[in-house]
Amino acid sequence: MDTLGLARLQFAVTTSFHFLFVLLTLGLVTLVAVTQTRATLSANPVHARMTRFWGRLYVVNYALGIATGIVMEFQFGLNWSGLSHYAGDVFGAPLAVETLVAFFLESTFLGLWIFGWDRLNKWVHLALIWLVTLTAYASALWIMTANAFLQHPVGHQEQDGVLRLVDFSALLSNPLFGTAVTHVVFAALTVGGVFVTGVSAFHFIRRTAEVEFFRRSLRLGVVTTALAAPMVVGVGFAQFPILGEFQPDKTEAAGAAGGAGLGFMIQIGFLLLLASWITVPLLFRDWVVKMRFPLYLMVIGIPLPFIAAIGGWLYRELGRQPWLVYGLLRTEDAMSGATRDGMLFSFVAFTAVFAVLAVADWVLIARLAGRGPVEARVPVSPLVPAL
Amino acid sequence: MEGVWVVLLGVLTAGYFALAGFDYGVGLLYRFLGRDEPERTRVLRAMTPFFLGNEVWLVAAVGVLFGAFPRLEGELLSEHRVGFVTVLVGLVLFTAAVQLRIGPFWDVFVVGGALVVAVGWGVLLADVLGGPPVLWAFGLVSLFLLHGAVFLAWRLEDPARALVVARVLFAPVAVFVVAAVFLRGPVEAPAVGLVGAAVALLALAGAWSALRARAFRLAFLGTGVVCAAPALAVFGARDVVTPEVMSHAPTLQALGWVAAVVLPLVLVFQWATWRLSRAAR
Repeated sequence: MDTLGLARLQFAVTTSFHFLFVLLTLGLVTLVAVTQTRATLSANPVHARMTRFWGRLYVVNYALGIATGIVMEFQFGLNWSGLSHYAGDVFGAPLAVETLVAFFLESTFLGLWIFGWDRLNKWVHLALIWLVTLTAYASALWIMTANAFLQHPVGHQEQDGVLRLVDFSALLSNPLFGTAVTHVVFAALTVGGVFVTGVSAFHFIRRTAEVEFFRRSLRLGVVTTALAAPMVVGVGFAQFPILGEFQPDKTEAAGAAGGAGLGFMIQIGFLLLLASWITVPLLFRDWVVKMRFPLYLMVIGIPLPFIAAIGGWLYRELGRQPWLVYGLLRTEDAMSGATRDGMLFSFVAFTAVFAVLAVADWVLIARLAGRGPVEARVPVSPLVPAL
Repeated sequence: MEGVWVVLLGVLTAGYFALAGFDYGVGLLYRFLGRDEPERTRVLRAMTPFFLGNEVWLVAAVGVLFGAFPRLEGELLSEHRVGFVTVLVGLVLFTAAVQLRIGPFWDVFVVGGALVVAVGWGVLLADVLGGPPVLWAFGLVSLFLLHGAVFLAWRLEDPARALVVARVLFAPVAVFVVAAVFLRGPVEAPAVGLVGAAVALLALAGAWSALRARAFRLAFLGTGVVCAAPALAVFGARDVVTPEVMSHAPTLQALGWVAAVVLPLVLVFQWATWRLSRAAR
């Protein structure tokens, strides 16, 4: 593979790893915030225990979200300096806003939320998790603004071979932004819903004694999925006419890999929509738990929305080729002047580190999820002794 | 207007080195300072409440670099690719391992990650400022160690070992600062580097006497300044404020609004975190 291929592969691998973690971060933090709100309002201690349990899993997942995110941010300058050179004025603006609002502010809020457990006033603590949630969504919003610019560059003017920003608001009214970000947000909620459903089902399979705890969790998961899945599918299809207008040859450009990604995503989307809608009436009197076999499907289903999301992402990005900034800057022209060995080194180094850490993180999440809401003797992470 | 962005970039970069510097120092030291697992956990936990907040100063700095100085960003990162890749690999390992450490097995990644980050920044700074990479690698490692040791001497219940380590480290750091001045390469504005070195030496002397007087906060402030100084010297190494590398007014204006809202919020909330976690003295 040549240098360009390696650089592209490195970007795809880093983005995919990052996306797997941030999707769950976004979906799960919303459910944690909802649960904590109920815990703050209700006298029933089960909500507080739920917040603690799901919050733990959220924090462990966040660890890799931030680690992969740092590489994401640097990668533009490292491998694609042509992009910052030519379009940095425009593309850099939403990206900088994202790092300031989301990364900087979100991590600060999250640090205080983790550390303020049992120390802060419960309303202040509740406000913090909502601030974390809000900044997490702001992150998705600005990243998709930046991405939409690559798909359909707007709000700029070329001066002396460089793009200059002329209309910031045009970035936000970009036709390839609104539906796409809505799609991603509901995809994240689906991921969160399916995850909470699957983990709860796993505990029912093992005939947990924590019936109330996991009944409530299961309901939260199923209802979230049932509400989010139709939106993901609907907004997903709503993008086709827009793409038809602005990127008519997308499916052709996406090639076999992108096309397969799109196919998987659509099938999984319909499957989850159907499954969640069938499950909702079965929540009545815990029928779904008594039937037992759906529980196994729920556990097996956990990876599905993740696969769908990667598939959709591949389609969107591969379908942009051969352009980095659609119609303006070719991918091959944006690459930094790195040697093939240098590119190979960074590709192997990042991929190896991410693979090892991701597996370790997922094993840890699986172990914590499997252990259930027991008071931990050993803290989950040095970051969260209180959780 | 342009000057504001240079200052902002400087503040964020300095903030990163002064704050994350002690993260890496603690990461390098806790295996050595804690004799058994509970003690090691205690040492590490002195740092962890601030961990997320500290590391993201770098993310914010690079965000501003990208948004306001896009052509400098592309040039700087791609020119020093090996150095940045090294720092990033170390950062990923360290960041993940600190958060996931559930047993001594993870120590390889915590200590190794912190070491790779410190050495990586050293090599990078040597690359930009000129000078032997070995000296800078040694310098940054001892600098972060010192900052971490002073932080622990301030925050731990039993600071005796941290204090000993801190005292031992003053001399190598001073030697590094002086050597870095003499062995520096040709740079755009050498005066900035010289002022940086002078400030670093003054702060180092101040930290030393503050530590002797058991004024731990002051000592911590001093070593924080020393940590930030080399990064600020970079601003003298090359022309940052040129219209060629900077974004134009509309981009800067949009970013300016965001920065004006976000920065005070970050400062208030990070200050609250420090307030909430009480030091031992």
